[in-house]
Amino acid sequence: MFGKGLLKGMKITMVRFFKPKETVQYPEVRLPLPDRFLGKPEFYYDKCIACNQCVAACPNNVITLKTETVEKKKIVTQYYFDQQYCLFCGLCAEACPKDALKFTKDFELTQYKRQDIKLKFVNPEQVAKKKAEVLQAALEKQAAQEKQAAQEKQASADKQIASEKQAAGNEAAAGVC
Amino acid sequence: MAVRQEEFVLNMGPQHPSTHGVFRIVLTLDGETVVKADPVPGYLHRGIEKLAEARTYTQVIPYTDRLDYLASMLMNWGYVQAVEKLMGIEVPLRAEYIRVIVGELARIASHLVATGAMASDLGGLTGFLYTFRDREEILDLFEMVCGSRLTASYMRIGGVAKDLPEGFVPKAKEFLKKFTLSLAEYNGLITGNEIFQRRTKNVGILSAEKAVDMSLSGPVLRASGVGHDLRKVRPYSIYPQFEFEVPLRTNGDCFDRYYLRVLEMAESVKIIEQALASLPEGPVMAKIPRIIKPPAGEVYTEIESSKGIMGVYIVSDGSPKPYRVHFRRPSFINLGYLAEMVRGWKVADVVAILGSLDIVLGEVDC
Repeated sequence: MFGKGLLKGMKITMVRFFKPKETVQYPEVRLPLPDRFLGKPEFYYDKCIACNQCVAACPNNVITLKTETVEKKKIVTQYYFDQQYCLFCGLCAEACPKDALKFTKDFELTQYKRQDIKLKFVNPEQVAKKKAEVLQAALEKQAAQEKQAAQEKQASADKQIASEKQAAGNEAAAGVC
Repeated sequence: MAVRQEEFVLNMGPQHPSTHGVFRIVLTLDGETVVKADPVPGYLHRGIEKLAEARTYTQVIPYTDRLDYLASMLMNWGYVQAVEKLMGIEVPLRAEYIRVIVGELARIASHLVATGAMASDLGGLTGFLYTFRDREEILDLFEMVCGSRLTASYMRIGGVAKDLPEGFVPKAKEFLKKFTLSLAEYNGLITGNEIFQRRTKNVGILSAEKAVDMSLSGPVLRASGVGHDLRKVRPYSIYPQFEFEVPLRTNGDCFDRYYLRVLEMAESVKIIEQALASLPEGPVMAKIPRIIKPPAGEVYTEIESSKGIMGVYIVSDGSPKPYRVHFRRPSFINLGYLAEMVRGWKVADVVAILGSLDIVLGEVDC
């Protein structure tokens, strides 16, 4: 009979009609996102060791990293992430040995101004703080080294005196024999 | 006064929803009948093959996602398999199982789009919504595995990026259970619909000889009665371990091409169920060098993607970047016979024929 298939289809839609809705009211209700979700990237300045591996891993040259060498230590002064060219493949986060780059669950990446799309992760205060820390550490290290050197010198001097004393004692003992 | 009669040129696309992307066909019509069709692809050309020459072997993977973006997992697979063959890397067994699971899920997702879009092209938007409801669950599974819904970039040279997350296997099993019921729904909604059948049965018939001559592949070829599926004919990966059938239809019309995809989805469900049941433990990455530098030479490998035979040809000069990469995109080659197929049919049938070919423009234009 012609039309039987149509009726069958209508029955399916009718049954479906009385079932709960599949969709959610988006801005108010949000579906949970999995942990591996690749959303807006996040950078942890303190973890970064300026190894440049994320820059090399990116297929699209999204990441620019500028460094400065202070007391033989590389310090990140600028870290740009040009999000408009990002493919969200996650290769940069995968390449990072220190987990300094992570993708968050934030997927609402629209911006009002074009320049806001380019993410600038590092601010000057962070750099200044890090520089001060490195200098401080270097100074402390130097002081510690000097102290250690002095101690070693003292110790070796003491040792020499002791050995001389012992040698003298030995000689005396030999003389007695 | 005599009525002046002449042929009429109609541009279908590039922004026509039924062309499944930015595809244009210049139709020359005699009344409503197509006299000549002139497909104009290229609106989505990004030069992926050329871009690959300036990327390292790993960096090409995200670009393969953008070929057939409806089944990006399969595109990843085709590419990494070629590099693995070039370097002689043995992929761990667990990684192979994971590849089969996500690959078949991608095949189902791709066929769901084809099935739903075919229904909506012919005026039945309901079917489209039903298939997309279930496709959403597959995309959720992909999101769990790799963090992205469409552009997965999940496979790596030597395995997969990460192991399956906790909760993936039960969720996938739950989906498969529900999906079997959904297939019955599609059959009731779309396949059994008389209007749909009249629009598609005996329309755009493709003979087996012609399909073979034009080197068509995938569901388009199998709907014409040629049982050629690489998973059976030239098995790769671990497909010989699974029991499944290659569905065949013999008429080669639009309805058969549509229905074959529904049947294939049921077979994919069987494969995933078997793979989930026997998923072995172990590493998901082979031991590979830190910088991937294949020896100089060339390689060509093929996989059965959702659209047909996806081939990857790589020429290496021994440097960390490929010298040349070429993709054999099944959609593009299947499209080669379109002009011949639509000739003599009405304008409305052009939509049905194009929908039944199931092209993805990311892949056609590359």
